[in-house]
Amino acid sequence: MNTLTVKDLCKTYIINKRQNNVLKNINIVIEQGEMVAVMGPSGSGKSTLLYTVSGMDHLTAGRVDFFGKDINALNPSQMSSLRLNEMGFIFQQMYMLKNLSIYDNIILPAYQSKNGKGKEKRKQINDRAKELMHKLGISEIAEHDINEVSGGQLQRACICRSLINHPKMIFADEPTGALNQQNSKEVMKELNRINAEGTTIMLVTHDMKVAAKSDRVLYIEDGSIKGEYVFGKYKGQEENREREKKLSAWLMEMGF
Amino acid sequence: MFLRILRKDLKRKRTTNLILLLFIILASMFLASSVDNLIAVNGAIDHFMEISKVPDYLAIALTDGKTDEIADFLHEQQWISEYEVITGFNLINEDVTITECQTDSGKKAYERTNTLFIETIPTDFMKVYTQEGESLTLKPGEIAFPKVEADNNNLQVGDKVSIRVGEEEKEFRIAVIVKDAVFGSSMMGFKRLFITEEDFAEYEGQEDVIRTGIYNVNYIDKEKFQSEWKEQDFKVISAINGPETIRMCYIMDMLIAAILIVVSVCLILLAFLVLRFTIVFTLQEDYKEIGIMKAIGLRDAGIKGLYLVKYLALSVAGAAIGLVCSVPFGKAILNKAIVNIVVEQAEQNYAVNIVCAAAIVGIVLLFCYASADKLKKISALEAVRSGSDGERYRAKSRLKLRKRARMRPYFYLALNDILSSIRRFGVLLVTFCLGMILILLPLSAANTLKSDGIISEFSISPSDVYLDTGRGETYTVDMDSLFRDMEDIERTLSKHGMKAVTGADMGYMIPCYSDDPDDSVSYYILQEVGNWDRQYSVLAGREPELANEVMITELTADELEVGIGDTVYFKMADRTQEMIITGTYQSMINMGQGYRVSRSAKMDPDYAGGIMCVQVEIEGMESEEACERLKEIFPNYRIMDAKGALDNMIGGIIEQIDTLMYFIVAIVLVINSLITVLLMKTMMTKERGDIALLKSIGFGNGPLKGWQTFRLLMILAASVVTGTLLSNVLAPYLIGPIFAMMGATSIQLVTGTAEAYVFYPLLLFVVTGFTAMLCAGGVKNVDLKEVNDIE
Repeated sequence: MNTLTVKDLCKTYIINKRQNNVLKNINIVIEQGEMVAVMGPSGSGKSTLLYTVSGMDHLTAGRVDFFGKDINALNPSQMSSLRLNEMGFIFQQMYMLKNLSIYDNIILPAYQSKNGKGKEKRKQINDRAKELMHKLGISEIAEHDINEVSGGQLQRACICRSLINHPKMIFADEPTGALNQQNSKEVMKELNRINAEGTTIMLVTHDMKVAAKSDRVLYIEDGSIKGEYVFGKYKGQEENREREKKLSAWLMEMGF
Repeated sequence: MFLRILRKDLKRKRTTNLILLLFIILASMFLASSVDNLIAVNGAIDHFMEISKVPDYLAIALTDGKTDEIADFLHEQQWISEYEVITGFNLINEDVTITECQTDSGKKAYERTNTLFIETIPTDFMKVYTQEGESLTLKPGEIAFPKVEADNNNLQVGDKVSIRVGEEEKEFRIAVIVKDAVFGSSMMGFKRLFITEEDFAEYEGQEDVIRTGIYNVNYIDKEKFQSEWKEQDFKVISAINGPETIRMCYIMDMLIAAILIVVSVCLILLAFLVLRFTIVFTLQEDYKEIGIMKAIGLRDAGIKGLYLVKYLALSVAGAAIGLVCSVPFGKAILNKAIVNIVVEQAEQNYAVNIVCAAAIVGIVLLFCYASADKLKKISALEAVRSGSDGERYRAKSRLKLRKRARMRPYFYLALNDILSSIRRFGVLLVTFCLGMILILLPLSAANTLKSDGIISEFSISPSDVYLDTGRGETYTVDMDSLFRDMEDIERTLSKHGMKAVTGADMGYMIPCYSDDPDDSVSYYILQEVGNWDRQYSVLAGREPELANEVMITELTADELEVGIGDTVYFKMADRTQEMIITGTYQSMINMGQGYRVSRSAKMDPDYAGGIMCVQVEIEGMESEEACERLKEIFPNYRIMDAKGALDNMIGGIIEQIDTLMYFIVAIVLVINSLITVLLMKTMMTKERGDIALLKSIGFGNGPLKGWQTFRLLMILAASVVTGTLLSNVLAPYLIGPIFAMMGATSIQLVTGTAEAYVFYPLLLFVVTGFTAMLCAGGVKNVDLKEVNDIE
């Protein structure tokens, strides 16, 4: 079964009584375990596409199926439950609650989830949080405040939070946009690893290096998908140079 | 940028600014009207005393209308400048019949509230005035009633009553409801009706009727006069030491104005708390703009000026509206507070209102100036980074989620927020706590006065029924008639199948002293009479048992500097009785002054001042049922339970406190709701990003509303508990002195009632909680995309 099926998606904003068609007849199919990058110039509708297909924003027309379920037909409570238990979100800015430690921010959605009640289940959540933090190399900042850690560490903590409930799909909006090169590399390494473990990922990026590590790149311009470049599975950093070159050439063709 | 911030502030924080404006309006309205009223009432009492010509000393005594030794004494007195004797006839309930009543209540039997006289219109001393403050004039056939008597019998101008004195009965039309300076206050135990001299003359010829002489005296030399007066040993039923004592009786009339001042002070405090809260919040919200202004070189003073301008505008607008509202509001309160007082017909003193409103503006600005001082402490960098300089490693006080194995996350978030911002939420706690205390203190006073045992604090033993035959003064000249009436009551009840015993406390006014006979002062002395041996509460020692034993109130003991085992002397006409003090007690009769003697004490009946009521104890019957039955059996008697009897004795204080409390409850509920709206709106504005983030990670509207609501409910719960505990601690210090003023020096205040512990806390909880829930509904309007607004 496809993870995400988008059919004839349209999104229109009315600004100053003028209709602004941000997304026009978008059709996408993302299969389970795929990592799809969305690229395009500023204002092309990349982020709007991500927010609309993930149910964070309402669509104007069309249909979005998540594992065969029409997310537009879900009520707010069902949509919250879907976001909580089956989706994960990573934002460009590393948003976390200021009054909570890094660790508490990570486990919060898990405690709220359907599997978060009961002493035994909460123990399992804590074990998973520790395992995720260990894997992402941030165990030592668990008890820190969010203003006590670097951007890269914080973004990895955000990734831990997005993974805590074993989501079927992760939506990432410019996950490396606010990071330096080194942190950006580390974050992408983690996303590739998660994807290799079977989690479907859809990410929006400006960065060719980031997009080159995905299985497929969609190019969006003026609210429409202008093209698609299929790489196939990313096998390791030895491929980086060649994938980036190919992507660069294709993007030039697209007029990026 | 200045204007942009100001515009943004006024637009975005519309609700916050509106609520702050409302608090400033309320604070200035309450302060201006209550200060003005207090000055007006205080001035009005002085003015009323002056125009009524209240004497320096006044004595009331019963006479036979033939000889008047007091008048003879006054006539010969050299230490007084002037005197006047007013003669009236005593009226009992049966002497007055309602013959025509517009309210058509069907009630014909008259029920007097206090000892009642009928007399001519006073011309020299103790003058009375109409409701409009004009001198009283009547035509033959017309009568003037004091308000309390008219209200008690549903009488109004135009109604007709028939008055019988001895064998003579005449009908009168009520022409005026009067204000009586000396006897008008609710605490005074005498009331007067007025008729013309022509009408009064028709009663004059009556034989064998009780007359009352009111003797008004102005001194030349107080000491010498009083010394000679004491030597005469006149038998008086009451003696009042001039305007000061009478002024004390108007304390209840000033109480409402005084409590309104307390409420307004609390409102001002709340306005400041709200102000501080909003200023600090506004500053935090505007950190970025402030940072940019600082970064481009604007000085702190300039930035501070921006905020001062805003609060100046708000406080001036609020104070102006409050000032305008304070005039009709103050008048409405004043009219309620001064039903018994004639207010000087002068122009409204707007200056007081203006000064109060200006004071509010000044205080608000000073407070704002001090609060905005925080600007100095923050650097441009810190401000741009929303209060964080990125270099702080101070861990915030918080709970660890993973250690809360059973706690729901929204509950955890609420609790963690409170613990992380103790100061911010502390302000709310103090506010709610104040509200709780404001409700519980008058409640404690009202409950104490309504409690079953309170009657014994008045040195009256509890009984099923308290019965006023309306013949209290008749008993003073013919004490046997009291015993006949009591026997008659027992016999009648027995015929109706009720086994009853009756008893009463006869009051005597007798000069007493401890050391020097020249220092003797008349005190109210109670003695139990009737077939029923009753128990009286004592504070120390024991009840008097022998003829020469006496119990003394603590206040009198302090005044005379005597204690248990000491001797006091009662100066009666034919002898001076030596009495040994066996115990102390407290009483709210006669402002806590007096004695109680044993049944066997030999008291001179010439000094008898009457009884308050006949007490009836019925075997096997509850008070409520007994009162209902006795009302049917004795339709002409006034039948009361303990609460009614007490209320009758202390002039309707319970009802006034109840009314006041309902008013305070309404105010507190409105304030709590306003503060809740303010806090929730402000917090939600600040936390929109966090709410959006939580929504994006799967929190539904329900848990988010729970987070926002629980935070407030937890504070509310803590405030209710703290407020209740604090009011229990504070009550003896704040309410105790009021009771002590009335004579109850060691009263046990009633605090732990279901009303105090359950009803009012629950009411606050439900109303404030409901407001919080309504406000929390706002989370559903937060768009998930606002996650990008997190700073």
